[in-house]
Amino acid sequence: MSASATPLVEIRELTVSFAQHDGLVQAVRGVTLHVDPGESLGIVGESGSGKSVSCMAVLRLLRSPPARITATKLALAGVDMMQADKKQITGMRGRVAAMIFQDPMTAFDPVFTIGHQIIETIRVHRNVSKKAARAEAQDLLERVKIRNAAAILDSYPHQLSGGMLQRAMIAMALSCQPQILFADEPTTALDVTVQAQILQLIKELQQEFGMGLIMVTHDLGVVAETVDRVVVMYGGKVMEQAPVQDIFDSPAHPYTKALLGAMPGQADGRARLTEIPGASPNPAAPPTGCPFHPRCPVADAQCAAEVPPLISVADGRQAACWRLT
Amino acid sequence: MIGFILRRLMSIGVTFIIVSMIIFLMMHAIPGGPFDGGDMPMPPAVRATLMERYGLDQPLYMQYFKYMAGVVRLDFGIPFQSPGETVLELLGRAWVPSLVLGGLGVLIGTPLGILLGIAAALRRNTWVDYLASAVATLGLTIPVFVTSMLLILVFAVWLNWFPSSGWGSPDRWVLPIIAYATIPMATYARYTRSAMLDTLNKPFVTVLRAKGLSETRIIYQHVLRNSAIPMVTVFLPMFIGTATGSIFVEAMFRVPGLGAYFVSSIRTRDYPLEMALMLMLTVMFCLAYLISDILYAWLNPRMKHGGRKQ
Repeated sequence: MSASATPLVEIRELTVSFAQHDGLVQAVRGVTLHVDPGESLGIVGESGSGKSVSCMAVLRLLRSPPARITATKLALAGVDMMQADKKQITGMRGRVAAMIFQDPMTAFDPVFTIGHQIIETIRVHRNVSKKAARAEAQDLLERVKIRNAAAILDSYPHQLSGGMLQRAMIAMALSCQPQILFADEPTTALDVTVQAQILQLIKELQQEFGMGLIMVTHDLGVVAETVDRVVVMYGGKVMEQAPVQDIFDSPAHPYTKALLGAMPGQADGRARLTEIPGASPNPAAPPTGCPFHPRCPVADAQCAAEVPPLISVADGRQAACWRLT
Repeated sequence: MIGFILRRLMSIGVTFIIVSMIIFLMMHAIPGGPFDGGDMPMPPAVRATLMERYGLDQPLYMQYFKYMAGVVRLDFGIPFQSPGETVLELLGRAWVPSLVLGGLGVLIGTPLGILLGIAAALRRNTWVDYLASAVATLGLTIPVFVTSMLLILVFAVWLNWFPSSGWGSPDRWVLPIIAYATIPMATYARYTRSAMLDTLNKPFVTVLRAKGLSETRIIYQHVLRNSAIPMVTVFLPMFIGTATGSIFVEAMFRVPGLGAYFVSSIRTRDYPLEMALMLMLTVMFCLAYLISDILYAWLNPRMKHGGRKQ
């Protein structure tokens, strides 16, 4: 985990746009971030901020066309994902980097059993017998704290609850001991009572497996519980990047401050939450300058005209705002 | 599953009885009778004798019960238009060309259509897709008798590769089978394309990609299997349509199949033959849907394993 080690994920100046009938939708507009081995990073932002798309881009899961990807660097475990061929990419997926998704109810193929789908994942990357793979699959289900693992292996997705399926999904993601796990809003579709259990499980397994984690979420509460470092995204850009404690204690960017104000359960016990006025920027026609300036309480003429660069504001902290002083 | 099949068989029995009544009533509701003989009317005495011989002078419900009593023993009566054989013998004779024509047409057209649909779905919005869609749309919109005419014109008249009509030797089969195959091919190309695109857009396909499965494996092991579920429901009923033969294709190529009898039996009020043809269709459709449902359940675990375990 030393600073000199090759980062697990390294993204520099990533842009992703989608060609549509009526022009170009710019989902990601120059994102730079990295994750070191064993580190956990939270990517926070509202819908349409480009957080999921950035992760999908790393695994090259965006179909192009319509997606257009550019980056000065897009590396996964040292492999240049912009240059890698199809075979290399499929070899990386699931083995080096695994991904879990928002809605576990639609994430499994409905016509095959859970066991079939986990065993398939194991056998596509590793040369093991069906029998051995099945034993491993059962062991994995037990590790994600599924009790009657043998029975669940033979169940079809529609027979299980959302929480159970998300556990199975995590088990499947871990089946090849990936170096990094991308968790794309893994608890959004689940009952509140189950959410905390799943987050706890992901955190425990991350430490147990010593793997990196990227937790994509719109919920600051989720990152507070699970990650070391946070990247705040807005309008396809990185607004702020800081250790998780600093984000909560001393947010630098006006957008981060606004997000915290909109979060329920703050210590000062306000009766009413502060909403952020206005709406997210239209990705087909993003605002000039800082994407947040139309909604920002402290914006001035410079914010509307020029894009603020992401600059260091303290040790290990960066923010993109003209009004930082 | 056994219980399901038994229940379905019972409901097929009920359907059969209701349909037979409706057909019988509608058949007799058409004015005129088999011995009215348009241009050459028979003497009334002769006509009365014939009506009595075939039991047509009895009340309708008696005629119905007598006919159905025969049906139970697989006796469908004597066709009025060719009294030298039984209805069953006539069907057996005329069915063979229809079955060969329709069966081969479907067996050739279906895989071609499926391949076309897969190609279109995988290369969507490219020339492959446009070409496949054009072929499918033309196949569905151009009436089969026009297709037949074009085939005869090009391959029989101009190129002189195949005979233009008849059924005696296999070289005469080629053109009608091609003409017939365009229908299942076009239907299947469209169904396959939309079913495939529907499945490809499902979130689980992204998960399969993220797991590191190759695109080929995703298509052949997951997407096709999921897409087959809605397609199964179309296949068997379409197959039945062919067992009766295409009336138009048979007429265009003068194939001595069943198709012609559907029309002629109604025109000549050939009650026994008409009844037999309709009942045969009813049974085949019922069985086709039953088999489709069984296949559907077999392909789709959500049907087989009803409830949630957890």
